[in-house]
Amino acid sequence: MTFTPLRLRAIGGESEKALFVNDAGRFFLGSSAFLDRMDLEQLSAGDLAFLRAGGHVVERGDALGAAAHARGVADRIARAGPLDYLILVPTLRCNLSCSYCQVSRVNENQGGHDWSDDTLHAVLALLDRLDAAHVKIEFQGGEPTLRPDLIRAVIDRCGRFERAEFVICTNLQRVDDEILALFDRPDVFVSTSLDGDLSTHTRNRTGTAEATSAFLGNLRMLAERHGPTKVSALPTIDPNNPPDIDALLDAYVDLGIDSVFLRPINYQGFARKRHAASREQGDGWRGYYESFVRRIIERNWADRGRVLEETYLSIALRRIFQPGSERHVDLRNPNPMGIDYVVIDHDGAVYPTDEARMLARSGVVDLSIGNVAEGWGGPTFDLLNANSTNQFDPDCKRCAYQPFCGRDLVDDLARYGRIDIQRRETAFCRRHLHLFDLAFRLVYSDDDAIRYSLARWLRLPGEPAAFGQRLA
Amino acid sequence: MIPLMRPALADAEGPYVTRLRTSRIGTASDDAILIEGADDGSVFSGRLGLVVIDGVRAEDLDGDIVLVDPRRGRVERLLRVGSTTNTLLVTERCDQLCVMCSQPPKKTHVDRFDLLEEACRLAPDGMLIGISGGEPTLYKERLLTLIERTLAARPDLGFHVLTNAQHFEASDVARLGRSAYRRVSWGIPLYASEAALHDNIVGKEGAFAKLEEGLAHLAMAGARVELRTVVLSDNIDAFPALAGYVAARLRFVEAWSIMQLEHIGFARNRWEQLFFDHVQRFGPIAEALNRALLHGVRAQLFNFPRCTVPAAYRRLAIASISDWKRKFAPACLRCGERSACSGFFEWHPDEQAALAVQPL
Ligand code: SF4
Ligand code: SF4
Repeated sequence: MTFTPLRLRAIGGESEKALFVNDAGRFFLGSSAFLDRMDLEQLSAGDLAFLRAGGHVVERGDALGAAAHARGVADRIARAGPLDYLILVPTLRCNLSCSYCQVSRVNENQGGHDWSDDTLHAVLALLDRLDAAHVKIEFQGGEPTLRPDLIRAVIDRCGRFERAEFVICTNLQRVDDEILALFDRPDVFVSTSLDGDLSTHTRNRTGTAEATSAFLGNLRMLAERHGPTKVSALPTIDPNNPPDIDALLDAYVDLGIDSVFLRPINYQGFARKRHAASREQGDGWRGYYESFVRRIIERNWADRGRVLEETYLSIALRRIFQPGSERHVDLRNPNPMGIDYVVIDHDGAVYPTDEARMLARSGVVDLSIGNVAEGWGGPTFDLLNANSTNQFDPDCKRCAYQPFCGRDLVDDLARYGRIDIQRRETAFCRRHLHLFDLAFRLVYSDDDAIRYSLARWLRLPGEPAAFGQRLA
Repeated sequence: MIPLMRPALADAEGPYVTRLRTSRIGTASDDAILIEGADDGSVFSGRLGLVVIDGVRAEDLDGDIVLVDPRRGRVERLLRVGSTTNTLLVTERCDQLCVMCSQPPKKTHVDRFDLLEEACRLAPDGMLIGISGGEPTLYKERLLTLIERTLAARPDLGFHVLTNAQHFEASDVARLGRSAYRRVSWGIPLYASEAALHDNIVGKEGAFAKLEEGLAHLAMAGARVELRTVVLSDNIDAFPALAGYVAARLRFVEAWSIMQLEHIGFARNRWEQLFFDHVQRFGPIAEALNRALLHGVRAQLFNFPRCTVPAAYRRLAIASISDWKRKFAPACLRCGERSACSGFFEWHPDEQAALAVQPL
């Protein structure tokens, strides 16, 4: 008999019990009595049958059990395919100046911060070389709609792909006919920021009520013109001054948007200067996040016609139960850099992630791995990739959440200037410990409202008898 | 019902495979071309002489790959161009005897692998070819050779093989892991997670243990597996446990098809004893679906008319019955979900079908 390595975590609320997780991410909640039996090596026949059935024990001669475990572990390892996701920054210029701008934008009329002809040609040549049948291209900025001609040039070049999807990340301040023609394409999606009610959004972003209503007018127009799937919106939350939860939710629901990706201010770009407190996500943020989740559970239960979700929690739940079902490049393990997606900046420099681009702009550390004309690779690239897994980290190795969690080198560099800081001491780790603790408390809840929301977030037709198994 | 076997007369001595064409445009040397057609029969002429086929209009045969069998006086339409489901029967022998078998096995085996391989080579572009039996892997070497040779010549094709998976050995793992096998999926029946119950249903002691071994080999080869479970009165209450088993041990499968019983073969005479009416009690199936889907196993319902499934689960009930053996009840005419619905097997009793439907 061989135990698959099990890791434990006491999950709050039921402190006498521990969550047991193996390398394949299979888990159960064991009682303290079971812990004692394990400790004394006095497992009952029932214990063994339970452990065997759940894949926590593989007996000699059980070829299928061994194969299932091997496949299960393999399923937890992210594989990066060919390059098929590009984040393009055609210009760094912007017509707003948000208090926490993450990209160190420049003023609208400042020259020299747009793609040159050479950069454009190199981007188009790169598109011609891509191996993938499906591509996703995201336009970031600055404000990319200041250069609709460049967006068009890229889109026009993608005709040869079986499927190409474009996301334009825009502040929706100005939508003229030329830009609207782009938005009207069925393969173009719009992503924007909506920080909550009018006053919060004005305070954080636009500065004036008129500018906010211009933005809201455009957002509403797009949602009405093309339905809610056309637009996604993200709020950026200032944990020290968070918006009222219901007001925030209403602002989204009003537009027909049911998924809200709650993000705290990122410690990058100008945010470093203006929001020094954002270096660590404290209890304030975590408390707000949890109240937010509890509130959408209540609202979902009260109104069954509409399923609200917090996007990142849904991603975490799918990572727990359904490895391989989603591809979120910010939460995966290993998290290869510069392989299946890259960022191409306004000057043609190539970065492994958008945050890496911001770090370079704010002068913290230059993580550019090459440029679009000559290609990328080299020592920075190799160094990043050599450290892109959580698998051998001394803390993660002992952590029950390792199979579900990820690795974010750039976040570590942004906050601490190094990647070898003890994992448990990082904001990334604290955020994810909290996230998975919360997720497992929900998984083991008997509350009907919670079970209902969980099932919807996991895209199930009904509620299973139990989301997680228990061993008494 | 579309007839797959037709009476025919042919010049040739022995059986051969040819493609029927109604026009000369773009024909190849293996084709037999229409020279005379009427509503009740047609004459085609090819490399091996004339073949006269009864009772089908020539235009319905255009492009079909057929097996002409002069001695038995018939043609078999092996691969039909317009159809999404074409199945080649490679043997009628089987080493199990399932209580509900839809195609009861025979003792004798007629080896047609060479002819079937020829048919595969003539298949239309990109076709997915089904292989069934009997138990195809009783002739494992012949079968794998057919698959490998066909895919080497025609990498655009794909295969779906129905097998009890009990004949794969550790020594097959490397072979089944080769890249050509990315185009092959294996449809494998599993009726319960409790060995005795499964063995009982398939009429073979030790079947479950052998099946687990076979599945382990397929898992290690990275093979594509579609698991199949027929709903029976005997195993209905074992469904939730089976779903737990699938989620824990067989999460690697591409799909888990939960199938309602076919009113044919052994099941026809044992209907009362075997059939479980999910309309009366959907609970065990719902629990199985939720458990499997929770763990990312793509569970789906085969042969479940959509109106017989609770609304939340309806998207899982797919149009699983092949065109040539599917029928609908009269009331289905006014149903909005007909194109997505499995309908009924041609051999399903009409009265039962008429009673079951609730047009959506
Ligand atoms: S980062 Fe923290 S939560 Fe994530 S696996 Fe490592 S120790 Fe666990
Ligand atoms: S009425 Fe007929 S077509 Fe409609 S769901 Fe029922 S069986 Fe299918």
